[in-house]
Amino acid sequence: MRTLSLLTFRIRQQVLEWSGAWWFLLTLVVQAVIAPLIGLFIWSAVYPDDPSITRYYVAIILVTLMTESFEQHTFSNRVYDGTLSHELLRPQPVVLGVIGENLAIRGWLTLLGAPIVLVTAIALHTTFAWQSVLLAIPGIALAAVLIFLFTFLLSLTAFWTDRVHPVVGFGSQLAFLFGGTAAPIGLLPDGWARIAEALPFYGMHGLPAEIASGKQYDGSLGYQLGWVAVLTIAAAAVWRAGIRRYTAVGS
Amino acid sequence: MTVVEVDELAMSYRAPVRNGGLRAALGSLVRREYKTVQALDQVSFTIGKGEVVGFIGPNGAGKTTTMKILSGILHPTAGRVAVLGDTPWQRRAPFLKRIAFVRGSQPVGGSQELTVMDSLEYQRLLYDVARPDFRRTLDELQQLLDLQLDRQLRALSLGERMRVGLAMALIYRPEVLFLDEPSIGLDVTAAAQIRRFIADHVRTTGATVLLTSHYVADVTSLCERLILIDQGKLAYDGPFAELSARLSPYAADLLESLREEDR
Repeated sequence: MRTLSLLTFRIRQQVLEWSGAWWFLLTLVVQAVIAPLIGLFIWSAVYPDDPSITRYYVAIILVTLMTESFEQHTFSNRVYDGTLSHELLRPQPVVLGVIGENLAIRGWLTLLGAPIVLVTAIALHTTFAWQSVLLAIPGIALAAVLIFLFTFLLSLTAFWTDRVHPVVGFGSQLAFLFGGTAAPIGLLPDGWARIAEALPFYGMHGLPAEIASGKQYDGSLGYQLGWVAVLTIAAAAVWRAGIRRYTAVGS
Repeated sequence: MTVVEVDELAMSYRAPVRNGGLRAALGSLVRREYKTVQALDQVSFTIGKGEVVGFIGPNGAGKTTTMKILSGILHPTAGRVAVLGDTPWQRRAPFLKRIAFVRGSQPVGGSQELTVMDSLEYQRLLYDVARPDFRRTLDELQQLLDLQLDRQLRALSLGERMRVGLAMALIYRPEVLFLDEPSIGLDVTAAAQIRRFIADHVRTTGATVLLTSHYVADVTSLCERLILIDQGKLAYDGPFAELSARLSPYAADLLESLREEDR
């Protein structure tokens, strides 16, 4: 209960904090939707008679907006400027603050990006079955957790290097390529598609978008949950090693 | 009763070094060289309940490093430390609720868009302060520190930020206060106001305080006991009067007059 009220307060704090930078949030929205929009234009030109392509990409845009993570800018900067020390002295897990800020930014991006999704859907005459959208909700929630864990894990490298942005940038490129944004996984060459389905990135974007756009749900939440477990263990281990280093060297 | 126990405390870390020039830069890609910096060396002292101790020394002497170890931010290389019976760097929540570390260089952390009241309310939640206690302490702090609760943190001046930093630290009534340069960058009036406030607070609550400052007036007006640290080693631990007597008569007179002035 205490954790929940602290998290709620933190989200409220961060919503307020980011409200002063709405213009910057708009640039983040544009940055988030550009790649899926390019994918949409290319693949709907290749398959002009297939409405599932546009439906899929409209869903990808929404999933991307709802699940973007920026811990390389938020958390890592606190490691660099030493303000992480303030967090360490608070009687609460540090990650609670990181999650609160993450959720606040996602809320803003979803709010500011919703008109783009709506306009794209109307312009391309895209409709969704509400049953599919409802079915996709657990998948989107797990995608949000997966992306947070993956970005947070890479951002933890800030304890060792001051070049965290290329590290996270490389991770984002992998997610773009294998996650279903560059191309729906089903359209990748056979070998690549098999690799993509095994990696966690498909669960971050492509899978929930496929479910929302009407693909038969085949119980693939287990695959997402498996990767959530793996990334949670990895992030916890790297956090422990990183904080040991931070508290040995200081800032 | 001993509140802070420091025994044979040592802290060293490796810092990368290389010569200037392109050749040395390329060489460091293959083989990095490090030098060991000894920030603290065999430092021992104890602080009793309710004591206000001045922790002085030149820049880089190890004052802030010691403060960080005592508050739990840093993990020392060797030695034993206990604050309120706890090992600080384990950062257990019950321990963190009993101490506060205020840094003059960064008095207020966290979200800068929030108002002073929002930030204090967050502290109330974090430190589980009961509402009636919170209200009572806030009334006291507001009077003593002249807080403007509806102002946003980002719009505060340095002096106001320091006062808010103190309020945020004291709203949960910590038993031990680590104050690192609380008057840094403040004008004479604001610094004197902060000093008066700390003295009042200690008198009314019986809190234990370890204070670092480069300003003589800070330590002379607040602390009966001084710990002098130089190049990571303890150089003096004892009453203020004795240290001033060891110094030249002129310096001793000067310190005494500053002390009187502050009273």
